[in-house]
Amino acid sequence: MAQRTLDRLLNAIEGDGRLDRPGHRLEQGFAFTENLLGITRGPARGFLHGVWLGHPLHPLLTDVPIGSWTMALVLDLTGQKRAARAAVGIGLAGALAAAVTGLHDWQYTHDNARRVGLVHGTLNALAIGMYGWSWWQRGRGHHLRGRLAALLGYPVIAVSGFLGGALTYRHQIGVDQADRQLEPRRFTPVLAERDLTEKSPRRVRAGDVEVVLVRADGRIHALENACPHLGAPLSQGWLRDGSLTCPWHGSQFELHSGESLNGPAVAPAPCLQTRVRDGWIEVRRAPAVATAPPGSTLVHQQEVQP
Amino acid sequence: MRRRSEVLTEVRQAPALRERKTATRVLVEHHEVLRGLMRRTQETPRSQPGRRRTLADELFDELWMHERIEEKIFYPATRDVTPGIAAAWSEHRQLSDQLAALVRADPRTERFDRELSVMHDALESHAHLDEEQEMFPEVERFMDEERLVDLGDRLQARLDTLRSSRRVRAVLRLQRALLRLTAGRARR
Repeated sequence: MAQRTLDRLLNAIEGDGRLDRPGHRLEQGFAFTENLLGITRGPARGFLHGVWLGHPLHPLLTDVPIGSWTMALVLDLTGQKRAARAAVGIGLAGALAAAVTGLHDWQYTHDNARRVGLVHGTLNALAIGMYGWSWWQRGRGHHLRGRLAALLGYPVIAVSGFLGGALTYRHQIGVDQADRQLEPRRFTPVLAERDLTEKSPRRVRAGDVEVVLVRADGRIHALENACPHLGAPLSQGWLRDGSLTCPWHGSQFELHSGESLNGPAVAPAPCLQTRVRDGWIEVRRAPAVATAPPGSTLVHQQEVQP
Repeated sequence: MRRRSEVLTEVRQAPALRERKTATRVLVEHHEVLRGLMRRTQETPRSQPGRRRTLADELFDELWMHERIEEKIFYPATRDVTPGIAAAWSEHRQLSDQLAALVRADPRTERFDRELSVMHDALESHAHLDEEQEMFPEVERFMDEERLVDLGDRLQARLDTLRSSRRVRAVLRLQRALLRLTAGRARR
């Protein structure tokens, strides 16, 4: 029963096209602010997405408000007023940090996930307002009001947390969406070498796998064509400062390793080995080495001498 | 100042003919206007920073308007015809980011050239690879001709309103000024 109710709630949000206009307005405002602050082209971008962490930073920060506010509830029950106020305050700080990183991730989502994200963020803003008021009232000695606001705010973050979970587990936002195939295991010819022009990404097929080839600085690089973030065709992307840029969300991937440099993709784009034989470009997946950490083998073996 | 008005007239003369066009045609023609601005900016040497800046400003304004008419009129109307609308929205965001980077770059520097070349690739990726090659043919195939012409009228009318709106011009000028101001601070 509960399951069906929650499912219906999610479906209602996902199907509501009225959320798009305010969503895009908010994104445009946020985009302009990020451009003014120089975040879009700076190191802060990758930091906020969690590229340094290897997975999104936002879910990690959400534990702070949820944990602290749960603690505040317990401290309110046991009557420890000062400690309860401190717990509410720590939760607030964590919630603000989570809001910044969450907005930063949300602006690069599509359709249904975008709508769910907007409601998720709105509920969180409401909860921040309630807990902020609670903290302020407690500071002025009105502990009863403070407790009431915290009590009412708690179900709000519970529902919002559920929506946040749906974003990850249902819409795979922040999840590495790269295809984990082993094919092609042998070198497969994909394109005549003369057909690949410098610095212009080209989509090719190696068996069932779509690959993007890029010739830059005298080398030929091959990455899986689908962006690990939301599956954008990287072959429609462009080169910026020597790395391949995703055409949808601007994630930049290092050509020789596939590592993401700035997000929103936090996972690397899988790399393939390349070589040229008889005028044909051939690619293969680097053989898996069970004893080495994943990724490292890909990086070190990409360049294969013919 | 005089240089600026000269650039403006050239662009505005293009859609002077008043025949009814389909939405996709209006948009493709506007793509050509954007491509023309891009080409002229690329052809202007580094020794003419004023003209480069004016052209970049013009590109900023025209592309901004292009995004707005697509987002307000074209995308909502074609949302159920083609699956690529969400991606197109995202591509607009990439173009806006790149425009901001272009406007923030000093037209006397090599950085400007680099941003311009990325701008060119990003614009072609959106306008050519995505819209002209994939989305528009799909829309033309599955949408009523009459509906497309109506949409075209609305797009053209909206574009004309935006171009002649003083408020829009002021907002855009303010945006550019703010972007340049903060860029200067970042460099210091």
